[in-house]
Amino acid sequence: MSLKVKKEIQGLTTIFTLQGVLDISTSGVIDDYLENIGTVKTLVIDFSKLEFIDSTGIGSIMNAIYLSQEKQFRLELQGVDELTNEVFETVGLYQILNTLQLEGV
Amino acid sequence: MILDNLTVRNTQDEQQLIDKTLQREINIARNIQTKLLNGKTPTFEGGEVSGNTLPARLIGGDYYDFYPLVNGKIRIVIGDVMGKGIPAAMLMILTRGAFRSAAESTQGPGETLTAMNQAIYEDLRTLRSFVTLFCADWDPQTGIFSYANAGHHLPLFIRGKSHEINELPKVKGIMVGGLPNQEYEEESVKLDSLDTIFFYTDGIIEAMNQEGEQYQLKRLIQTLIRHIEKDVGELEKCVMDSIIEFTEGLPQKDDITMVLLKINDQQADITSFNSPRL
Repeated sequence: MSLKVKKEIQGLTTIFTLQGVLDISTSGVIDDYLENIGTVKTLVIDFSKLEFIDSTGIGSIMNAIYLSQEKQFRLELQGVDELTNEVFETVGLYQILNTLQLEGV
Repeated sequence: MILDNLTVRNTQDEQQLIDKTLQREINIARNIQTKLLNGKTPTFEGGEVSGNTLPARLIGGDYYDFYPLVNGKIRIVIGDVMGKGIPAAMLMILTRGAFRSAAESTQGPGETLTAMNQAIYEDLRTLRSFVTLFCADWDPQTGIFSYANAGHHLPLFIRGKSHEINELPKVKGIMVGGLPNQEYEEESVKLDSLDTIFFYTDGIIEAMNQEGEQYQLKRLIQTLIRHIEKDVGELEKCVMDSIIEFTEGLPQKDDITMVLLKINDQQADITSFNSPRL
């Protein structure tokens, strides 16, 4: 099980496309990318090639949310499939994202 | 750097000693967690509750608890701390302390979750962690089961007479540690004779077999329906056996926890009113 992160920079927008599994064994990969994100206006995380996410993976997305508040950039989650969408809805991730984006950006 | 044989041997001995000490401490930690999780289960007339957890590693981050209230109700909680192993286990203990403290001073499950979030939000935010929790009050006198949710899977509600099985009606609420000052809505259902509530963590439905297929909710539902006539302990064992059979001995990836509440034909009556002792 592995995670590949494809990073694309389009002006002040950075896109992370996640491919594989985002769990306890791979979350460090995206955490490293987030740590070294630099200056961005918008970060897009694309889940369309993600096969599985567990609670540690959700923790990494929470990290991205907190980082967006601290560094004042907009975070967009794209390509979320039905199952992952349901998990994000259940834990309240969208509500947290919307609340913190309104406060921080 | 040149190391002679004696230096190499001393370094190896020291490493072995550190490993041994660490292993012993992990075993003690496992023992502490097992004892705290598997405390006395409350007994009451007219029904039964049971809980069981199986960590993926030596210790885990899943949590469940029962807390008999002075008004005769019983408060039940199940939770899943982000992550696995020792870090999750440490936060599980933090969560347990918050629940035990909140359960005593709050009126209902929604208030309990609000108090827990208030108590541990800052710590969880600092540690970049969170916990999903489902909390419920069961009143054996009225048959009312009221509940609130903080980002956890909704338990399954199995009607004892018709064997109809559904998730409990939805109730909104985000994970504990996500945002401060959260209010948690409450919902309630009336439980009749032979009804069962099955609380669980995602380690059950995400258990994977050799082909990379997950156990999923559909298999859990099939298993519960097949064995619904059994008592809570046997039902628990049937679910666990079914998961083990499905995964064909593949190492468990996530902690597995379940809690069952089953009503029988008699009038329920909690025998232990003296919280927090179970």
